[in-house]
Amino acid sequence: MAQKKLGREIKLMKGNEALAESAIRAGMHAYFGYPITPQSEILEYLTEQIPSRHGLVLQAESEVAAINMIYGAAGAGARVMTSSSSPGISLMQEGLSYIAAAELPCVVVNVSRGGPGLGTIQPSQGDYFQATKGGGHGDYHLIVLAPASVQEMSDFIFDGFRLAEKYRNPVMILSDGALGQMMEKVELQEEWSLPYTENPWATTGKPASRERNIITSLHIEVELMQEINHRLLAKYEQMKEVEVRFEEYMTNDAEILLSGFGLCARICQKAVDLARAKGIKAGLLRPITLFPFPKKQFAQLGKQVKVILDVEMNAGQMIEDVRLAVNGTCPVEFLGRMGGVIPSPEEVLAKVEAMAESLFTVESGG
Amino acid sequence: MENNNVITPPDSIGTRVEQPVKYTAKDFSSGLEVRWCPGCGDYSILAQVQRTAPEINVPKENMVWVSGIGCSSRFPYYMDTFGFHGIHGRAAAIASGVKIANPKLSVWVATGDGDLLSIGGNHFIHACRRNMDLKIMLFNNRIYGLTKGQYSPTSEKGKKTKSSPHGSIDFPFKPVSVALASGATFVARSMDRDPKHLQAMMARAAEHKGTAMIEIYQNCNIFNDGAFLHLTEKELKDENVVYLEHGKPLLYGHNKNKGIRLNGLTPELVDLSKGEFSVSDLWVHDEHDINPARAFILSQFIEMEHFPTPLGIFSQIQKSTYDADVEEQIAEVQKTKGIGNLKKLLYSGNTWKIE
Repeated sequence: MAQKKLGREIKLMKGNEALAESAIRAGMHAYFGYPITPQSEILEYLTEQIPSRHGLVLQAESEVAAINMIYGAAGAGARVMTSSSSPGISLMQEGLSYIAAAELPCVVVNVSRGGPGLGTIQPSQGDYFQATKGGGHGDYHLIVLAPASVQEMSDFIFDGFRLAEKYRNPVMILSDGALGQMMEKVELQEEWSLPYTENPWATTGKPASRERNIITSLHIEVELMQEINHRLLAKYEQMKEVEVRFEEYMTNDAEILLSGFGLCARICQKAVDLARAKGIKAGLLRPITLFPFPKKQFAQLGKQVKVILDVEMNAGQMIEDVRLAVNGTCPVEFLGRMGGVIPSPEEVLAKVEAMAESLFTVESGG
Repeated sequence: MENNNVITPPDSIGTRVEQPVKYTAKDFSSGLEVRWCPGCGDYSILAQVQRTAPEINVPKENMVWVSGIGCSSRFPYYMDTFGFHGIHGRAAAIASGVKIANPKLSVWVATGDGDLLSIGGNHFIHACRRNMDLKIMLFNNRIYGLTKGQYSPTSEKGKKTKSSPHGSIDFPFKPVSVALASGATFVARSMDRDPKHLQAMMARAAEHKGTAMIEIYQNCNIFNDGAFLHLTEKELKDENVVYLEHGKPLLYGHNKNKGIRLNGLTPELVDLSKGEFSVSDLWVHDEHDINPARAFILSQFIEMEHFPTPLGIFSQIQKSTYDADVEEQIAEVQKTKGIGNLKKLLYSGNTWKIE
């Protein structure tokens, strides 16, 4: 049973349900989505809850329709969200490019699964490149938040809407099938009313006193298009300055640094504990925002540690950003699992031990 | 090395080399374990397809099954033919690609109400519009089964499902109406629980040249059980189903005493036992009617109160197919302009030598 504690409500919930509940609490006006495993509970929870609370839900005919309904509703000045899983998120890329270009706020949740193609319904982190590098065509970025617990599935929705509206930019919550399906204790935030003031750009009608506005991403004049590109870039630079979020664990004296996001960060944290118990000075740097990426933190720690082990549930995607950030100051090794396979803390530990041993051998040999 | 810009499929594909073989249903079974829920209507559809396939005079190696994503889309795994388990909604587009790349193939699509009519609606109407020679078997169970029970574009308004717990507020598609309006040249309806009829419909679709769509009412016993009970149960079927037969009056009912007459463009239910109307007053079905209006009226019966559900061929008309027309156009252009020569083209016009 739910109990009240410090003004917050504690419940045992699935990640997908906690996220959906939080979207209602965050004052979402409209949700558009299409069923796909492993995230259909978001659509189902919202359709069950919303009529007696606030907002509306529409089951679209496809993910392409859903993202375009998002485009329309965001343009009409509503706080909007959609969710899907990897194949469906691929279908939304065209819309996301246009929404980013038209500078409209929205939250997109990817409860990702293994690919490419239809792949599997098991969890994966194979959509890192797509999420962080734009995903669709043209020069743009989404702000990407990577939760690692049911608690963060809930909390990041609030952050997501706040950031989307602050920057008038789509925000992606990059989760995975395990976080969506697993049940954990979650402290739900109270109903939150981030004021959604009438925006000058929103399509809400044009009285004589109001300037006309056409929401568009088309700018035939090259100079104008370049100017808009510069404006978007300035926005992304601003995000890099002030919105970077990360978590450090036992990094003060770390010699071996683990890096991982989302579910892998939790696995790495356990591996750090196991390694410390064996006397290995391991630590963890976990990016919470994947864009903007915690580049400075990796650069700093890269100078401190002897080696980095990057752990991901993919073929090696974030590792490219880690390597760019450390810029050759230390070697970056990789442990990856694909196809829906989740690495265990023990296998991460085994790799850390092997790395520690080779470091020790080199040191004593040299 | 002349004509190296003309691409033709390898001779071994789509050409029957050896003497015709007499197949049995078993020859079309891949032997893979069938993974639908026990009791699913899909089993019957698979059995009818495997039973009919030997009779339709298509060499086995020329048959291709293409699907999208959904429960029905597992179909290609179970047929011992070439196949595609494609992309959600895109089966009609993938099948169009298969057909146009090798028109000798007999291309069949296994799809569901979500796959074909929701996300794939656009591809479906355009396949029909082109009259691409595809056989589309729509497994209509009026629910999303694979994602565990959300309402689909053929779910009735007000339906309570996991994604419509307070009742769906969408109006459903009538798939036969959509196919007719989009220009499909063979449009039929059958049921998983009527094996002989389903076999007959499949055989007729196989003979047809052009886009053929068979809507098959299919029971999803897990998420939408009994959706078609009034059509399949013995004591209810006669009163609720009218079989469409070419040249025959629309007559139904347990005692064959009910009929439908057409008063202008308005269909009317008549009771023949009252003596006011006789069989000669009834609407006589013409499946080759070039005017689609009457077939369209038939397709509306499912939403008209007290009207029986028509099963059978609504429309079968002859029209040139896209795949044949494109071949013909190529031949025509080659006849007037000659066969192209890529090398000659590259060396024509402004060419120069770099000294």
